[in-house]
Amino acid sequence: MEQQDPTAATDTSLADALARCARGEQQALRQIYDSEAPTMIGIAMRVLRRRDMAEECVHDAFLRIYQKADSFDPARGSPRAWIYTIVRNRALNIVRGEARTDLVDDFEPIGLTDDSENPEDAMLRLSDARSLKRCLETLAPVRRKILLLAYMHGLTHGEIAGKIGMPLGTVKSWIRRSLLSLRECLA
Amino acid sequence: MMTREDKDILAAEYAMGLLAGEEAAQAEQLLADDEEFIAMHVRWRERLSEIDATATKVTPDAALWTRIEAALPRAAKPQIAKMSSPLPSPLLRLKDLWDSLGFWRPAGLVATMAALVLAAGLGLSVREVGRQPVLVAVLMTENNQPGAIVNVLADGRAELVPLGDIPVPAGRVLQIWTLWDRVRGPVSVGLAQSARRLDLEVKALPRTTATQLFEITLEPEGGSPTGRPTGPVLMKGNATTAL
Repeated sequence: MEQQDPTAATDTSLADALARCARGEQQALRQIYDSEAPTMIGIAMRVLRRRDMAEECVHDAFLRIYQKADSFDPARGSPRAWIYTIVRNRALNIVRGEARTDLVDDFEPIGLTDDSENPEDAMLRLSDARSLKRCLETLAPVRRKILLLAYMHGLTHGEIAGKIGMPLGTVKSWIRRSLLSLRECLA
Repeated sequence: MMTREDKDILAAEYAMGLLAGEEAAQAEQLLADDEEFIAMHVRWRERLSEIDATATKVTPDAALWTRIEAALPRAAKPQIAKMSSPLPSPLLRLKDLWDSLGFWRPAGLVATMAALVLAAGLGLSVREVGRQPVLVAVLMTENNQPGAIVNVLADGRAELVPLGDIPVPAGRVLQIWTLWDRVRGPVSVGLAQSARRLDLEVKALPRTTATQLFEITLEPEGGSPTGRPTGPVLMKGNATTAL
């Protein structure tokens, strides 16, 4: 479904648009916006939960993309990962700084969320062609769920511990073991 | 002392956004000056961003672009050539280029063709008796222009022959690297203040082989402080058998 999206840009066209941003072509930023802004708002919504804050976050992310486009290096990774990292980091900074207190109170306890952004949906949408999905499937369901929820909502070790009512040390070593098996599987 | 595994997991935790306080500070410190950690972090970001791609798309409010556009710098940014940019931040270090086949392959193909043409057509300094190159590497610039040639002679010596001027900002030098062993990584084979013919220091290295990589980076005076390429890659190419 989303694969057939006519606005979907290829890695090559995104990398090219970033190169043109680096030369000061605002048209190229618009091109990135047209293809990536909807997903970027989705990424920010997972962390920030509020539409207005998510749009603010994407606003900041686009200014940064334009500013930093000359530092994008296609040899070091895909343009999409680079762009998504910028918006996600911005969202994490917002949630961990400016607005932390009011947002944390809004969080539903883990496992009780009923929005469409649940980890199993995310699993289904992961590409079968890539190893991440296969490797996540090798984890026990509860570990996979915690890992995905932590990533999608941008939770720290401490926040996860608070939500599932487990000691911080236990959560840390638990996640560490999940990451170790992921690492081994992805290698 | 962290093991490689510890480091990789710390990179994963940081890329996940799990860290706070001291642990986050430790990761940020490593991200500022540890090449291995930077590469690990980039790899995790690359893998995890697949999860980002599954986010439900939300159509932006029509006013969002207008606000972004209004906040962009008014005048187009001046075109700054990559090689005259200030010292790159650690995140921009290009060491990983050596490991990226995708980055090299297209240049390699072009370089092979160009090598044949150039080796045949140009009156290079190696055309003296007994100095015929057995291998030639044409180093291509970012714009796919031949920038220099590395000739490897039958007796094992190697020389760099620039094909044009290479602008070098004040306080920087050209450093020439070769890579024959990915495990060992790139090794410096010469430094130059400006584009000039240069004998490369390959005596201590194993004999140059076909497809071996050569590249020139821009480094601080005296050469890269880390012993690995840290600055922008100006040109690169693989050795090929000369006719």
